Amino acid sequence: MQSETIPVEELRQLLAGVSDHGTQHLLEVEADLMQTTYLLSEAIEKLGACFMSVHEAVTAQQQELDLLLQQTKLPSEQQQKLLHYREVIAKEVNTAVTGLQFQDLTSQLIARTIKRVNGLKELLSALATHGDSMDSEQEHQEIARLLQEMNQSLNSRSVELSGGLRKAVDQHHMGSGEIELF
Amino acid sequence: MAKTILAVDDSGSLRQMVAFSLTAAGYQVVQAVDGQDGLNKARDQVVDLVLTDQNMPNMDGLTLIKSLRGMSSYQKVPILMLTTESSDEMKAKGRAAGANGWLVKPFDPKRLIDVVQKVIG
Repeated sequence: MQSETIPVEELRQLLAGVSDHGTQHLLEVEADLMQTTYLLSEAIEKLGACFMSVHEAVTAQQQELDLLLQQTKLPSEQQQKLLHYREVIAKEVNTAVTGLQFQDLTSQLIARTIKRVNGLKELLSALATHGDSMDSEQEHQEIARLLQEMNQSLNSRSVELSGGLRKAVDQHHMGSGEIELF
Repeated sequence: MAKTILAVDDSGSLRQMVAFSLTAAGYQVVQAVDGQDGLNKARDQVVDLVLTDQNMPNMDGLTLIKSLRGMSSYQKVPILMLTTESSDEMKAKGRAAGANGWLVKPFDPKRLIDVVQKVIG
């Protein structure tokens, strides 16, 4: 009867392949996330500056209008229209201030994702290291023990990674959050 | 004389929006980039209200609140948390640390001003 053998070399190559390919893809994910962070930072900087400039100009325009209104008697209908536009601007400014907080939330989510990607890279690296410790000369039982150890190590690292990534952003839309006074 | 509010947040865009909203309502706003910076600025000048984020580098919001409550000049100064965190567990920690209120981001400027006016007038 032929004795039971494990194709250790092939198993080691498989583990190394999973580790290498996985790491390459995760490096791409990390690079894309870093680029997204950069683009979002630049976008919010420009949006913030534009918002402040527009608001400053609109405020100055309204002050000029107030002066004109003091000097000129406008028909009631036109006065009402000007008041209406003022209210619309104030409402939209409020909405814009809430919307312009998006970068604070997205940057936290991206930072969390990058941490997870780095944790996964460590997991894959551990997988390859464990694979390297296997030898074709080892007995079946010894190989089985190494695979079991590998599994336990990956499990504990995965649990550790999840534990260190407490989700701080639960918001799914950019509406105003709740307020509670103690 | 305008009342002074210390706004502590590691996000520049968030600080900008807080400062914009509160300045428009007549308050003076001092900005700090994290808890440690907030603590330093609170030592330099006793403010009328502290508005702080929770998750920040160097020092988080809860640690800042505990440090401020340990200072005699800040035992009665209102402190509000303005954070993405909304769990009851975190709110309980904030309350235990000495926070007077909890605001979940993103904030609406009108509602923020209403709360600030309610707390410090």
